[in-house]
Amino acid sequence: MVHDLELISVGKTYPDGTVAVSDFDLKVEKGEFVAFLGPSGCGKSTTLRMIAGFEHITNGDVLMMGQNVTDVPPEKRPTSMIFQNYALFPHMSVRENVAFGLDVKGTPKTERDRKVDRILDMFDLEQVADRKADKLSGGQRQRIALARGLVVEPEILLLDEPLGALDANLRRIIQNELKLLQRELGITFIFVTHAQSEALGLSDRVVVMSNGVVEQISPPRDLYRRPKTPFVADFIGSNTVFEGTPKGATAKGFGRIETPFGLIEGVGLGNESLAVVPAEAFRITPQNTPGEIRFEGRLAERKLVGAVGHLKVRLSEDREIAVEVSADRPEVRALELGAPITLGVDPASVTLIHT
Amino acid sequence: MESRILRPTLAIYTACFLLFLYGPMIVLAILSFQSIDGGPQFPIRDWSIYWYEHLLGLAETSRVSQLPVGESLIRSIVLAFMTTVVATVLGVMSAEAFRTKFKGSGPAFYLIILGMMVPGVLVGLGMALLSNTLDLGRAWWGTSFVLHVVYTYPFAFLVMLAIFNRFDRTVEEASLSLGVSPAQTFRRVTFPIIFPGVLSAMLFSFTLSYDEFARTLFTAGRDLTLPLAIYGTFSVEIYPNLFAFGVLTTLFSFTLLVIYGLLMKRFTSKASRYKGQEDA
Repeated sequence: MVHDLELISVGKTYPDGTVAVSDFDLKVEKGEFVAFLGPSGCGKSTTLRMIAGFEHITNGDVLMMGQNVTDVPPEKRPTSMIFQNYALFPHMSVRENVAFGLDVKGTPKTERDRKVDRILDMFDLEQVADRKADKLSGGQRQRIALARGLVVEPEILLLDEPLGALDANLRRIIQNELKLLQRELGITFIFVTHAQSEALGLSDRVVVMSNGVVEQISPPRDLYRRPKTPFVADFIGSNTVFEGTPKGATAKGFGRIETPFGLIEGVGLGNESLAVVPAEAFRITPQNTPGEIRFEGRLAERKLVGAVGHLKVRLSEDREIAVEVSADRPEVRALELGAPITLGVDPASVTLIHT
Repeated sequence: MESRILRPTLAIYTACFLLFLYGPMIVLAILSFQSIDGGPQFPIRDWSIYWYEHLLGLAETSRVSQLPVGESLIRSIVLAFMTTVVATVLGVMSAEAFRTKFKGSGPAFYLIILGMMVPGVLVGLGMALLSNTLDLGRAWWGTSFVLHVVYTYPFAFLVMLAIFNRFDRTVEEASLSLGVSPAQTFRRVTFPIIFPGVLSAMLFSFTLSYDEFARTLFTAGRDLTLPLAIYGTFSVEIYPNLFAFGVLTTLFSFTLLVIYGLLMKRFTSKASRYKGQEDA
């Protein structure tokens, strides 16, 4: 099967020897929404710019629809890029901005006008079509940028932190629009962001990067439930990581490690040395189910934020863990600071990983 | 407290600046309306436009020969125009090249800047010697033209460099990612955005070339440019016709400035006034 986009051990090393990205492997199917997520400087934007053709690729190959485009200049790639600062043409009206790509390609006037009108209508921009682009609000400008990028009918749309410059409300609105749009058009979206909620909420798959290396490629839910590296466990969600020594597998197919807080079982082979427990996997009322892991501690802090209770439980002198429980439950309200507390965890929600 | 001293000081400074900037020109302008029997100094014997008529060859008879500026004026304008075109094109191209650091960009930068740093007299003299050695004829459209370009090109280059410094590269990348070729991107995106800078570079080049003296003195050969022709008349005796000419050339320069201003204004407000779609 031919993938829309395929990266084969793509890497970039600058002339001074700095490695920006290394061994990036990814296969993206038609119509998939993939997010690159990571802290700033992790190489996610550089990778996107290599896909667009703005950055030279020093290792590996980029394939689009099965064609090797590694040495193809940006204007000849079937991609279109959306920038964080919108990058609208300041000397053109909104309509001219949107029509630009078709204009230069020599699209017949009637066809061009039809397409431009349709996309202006789609993005709710007809009223401002004849205004100068840089006089408009951030949300409108981002819509213009999207309209301009989509009207040329790219196979792959590349978005470089497109919502970064918008305020929280607008960001949510445009996020929803983006998701709907992508589903409607069936175009492959590659989306770069440093905001977890954006990546997890919008995409079909998330690529987590750190220091130029791909840490994990998974659907958002798996990323959340089954982190594969210590970085992901730390970066995504709110996890507690216990260090220990491998103690082999159990009969039920779980792995087991020995930690200062006792044996911890979890999903793994038993040769791992870290156990990742999501904050919301802790129960403050142990169920006494077979195999349940128990932790004894004292309540150090309690914060109720809406429906969620954020607890800090002190397990030992130097170990405090974060626990998230439903705030509605009466036993949560009854807890007193400093009181002893027993936490229970189902091993199925624990993931064992290598250091 | 501070502004009690600072503000009047700055006001006086500004007044002095304006006085010394416009004073000479105003004196010149007043004296250009001297009567036929008046000299190139105060008092004004009588107001007249005689010296303007004299300058344009409209005066009946005169003991003073007509100012020999006609042809040299044409030469200077043509030379300045040629210089403007070449220096601006070079300036835009090299500033574009300097947007990305290339090997040897440091030395290349100083090499270009050297053209405006070295004393004009030296370059002029050197060029004269060189053309003698190579047995090349000296002419305003040849040897002088080359030196004018060498002199004005760094100014155009620096103006464009400053413009590109503020230029947002992602706008070009946006154009490329829409499938527009680099050449078309330059023509339809980059150039319109940097155009105000190009106008400034042109104005610079034109003005500098138009009244260049030292370099031209040694390299113009037999046919003189305007500054040389005017200087030549000093060696005889000065009459108010020179002042009349000064007033006219100043008006010419102001006209250029006004055109520049209008173009700038028209350009920067073009997009907001734009109603229809461009038919490309």
